[in-house]
Amino acid sequence: MSHQHGHPPLKMGLAIPNAKLGMWLFLGTEIMFFTAFIGSYIVLRLGSPGWPTNAEDTHIVIYAGAINTFVLICSSVSVVYALEGVRNKNFDFARKMLILTLVLACGFLGIKAYEYYGKFTHDILPGRIPESNQQALHFTIRDLKAATGIEEAQYKLKTLQKQLGERQAVGGNTESLQSQIEEQQKVVDEITPVSNKVDQLNSLVTAGKIKLGDPGAHGAHAEGEQPEHSAAEGEQTMVDAVAKLHEEHPEYFASVHVPKVIRYGNLFASTYFIMTGFHALHVIVGMILFVMLIGLGSKLGSQHETFVENSGLYWHFVDLVWIFLFPLIYIV
Amino acid sequence: MFRRKCGATYLMTDEHHDHQAAPYMAIFGLLIVCTILSALADVLELNLPSAFLIFIVLVIATIKAMFVMMFFMHLKFEGKWKYVILLPTAVLALAMPFALASDIAVHYYDVAVPQENTLLDKEVLAEEQADDHQSHDGHKNGEHGGSH
Repeated sequence: MSHQHGHPPLKMGLAIPNAKLGMWLFLGTEIMFFTAFIGSYIVLRLGSPGWPTNAEDTHIVIYAGAINTFVLICSSVSVVYALEGVRNKNFDFARKMLILTLVLACGFLGIKAYEYYGKFTHDILPGRIPESNQQALHFTIRDLKAATGIEEAQYKLKTLQKQLGERQAVGGNTESLQSQIEEQQKVVDEITPVSNKVDQLNSLVTAGKIKLGDPGAHGAHAEGEQPEHSAAEGEQTMVDAVAKLHEEHPEYFASVHVPKVIRYGNLFASTYFIMTGFHALHVIVGMILFVMLIGLGSKLGSQHETFVENSGLYWHFVDLVWIFLFPLIYIV
Repeated sequence: MFRRKCGATYLMTDEHHDHQAAPYMAIFGLLIVCTILSALADVLELNLPSAFLIFIVLVIATIKAMFVMMFFMHLKFEGKWKYVILLPTAVLALAMPFALASDIAVHYYDVAVPQENTLLDKEVLAEEQADDHQSHDGHKNGEHGGSH
């Protein structure tokens, strides 16, 4: 046979390992996956009459994005050195580089989590952002009402009463139920005056007799700047009303804040979370690959070269996606 | 068995010579510089037209992406198969935004021709209501009979 004499054998297909070809094909689908998200973001953003770009509103921290870019580039370099290490049979070095990559990936996720935390605490979530003053008023009322817990308390009371009726019909012992009902009645009676205050506010909202005020001026309010501002307008504001409720009933309303109006904020939040969320998922998958390689311990050898290379390719792709997400989300 | 081994070593040595040419640290430095540049472009508030800024920032991103693909992903040293696998994906990447942009992103709607058809909807609604009134008055019995 000719191919046994010296010159390299004829190979069917491509001169690369099948696994690597598979990884590249997978990355091809990944390109389409992410460009679909990025493309729809671009189209939606261009099509939207406006876009929230004020960092105070969106809690987009450009430094966090830039640091994360730096972290991912570093991890790309370390993973490339890990592959070099495997190829040069310097497996100890390769393992160290893989561990460094994993640490950097954790760092990326940590910074990402910090950013997400800021968004969650300020309710910058799709479908939860008021886009007009009226919406912000209604959102506040809804949150105030939920904070009183009146509906749950009343529902519980009703169920207990219903149970009592059923038991009385059967002729069973009702003593414990009745004491439960009395206790629940006390709870409801306690909440009702607080809940009535919210209802009063609600009637003001529906009558259009209350303005939103400036939710951003919460800090200033404590220093006594706010009253002057609202007195000049001669109209009650929701920010003041909520601040008053905070003082009167901190046990109920401490967690309720008047949300900031962000026009087109929901579309922004949707696109932001779908792009960065799927990217973060990819980071986690990459970390699993690295954990598998590190878990081999001293067994890491030349036979794992393709595995290391494929993990590296995948990781570089994750880096690539972030290279585009960073300017598109944080800068533009 | 022999063939596979032979092929593998052939591939490895062949790739290996190329790889040593890739100056990873130099590319790393370049990527960092690019990142700092694009961050500075935003932070410094250069009073440039925003379209220009967007263009600059995306060009920098593309340069970074090219370097990562060529050297870190070794595409510079791969065979022609890379085009077969990667170029078709570019078709979707570009086709989707362009296809949707014509309707959603490019505003050929204006006040006279609104996208949400609020004016039109109101007119249609008013007409329908007018029709309803007529049918309530005159045709109600006839319609009832027809449907049964």
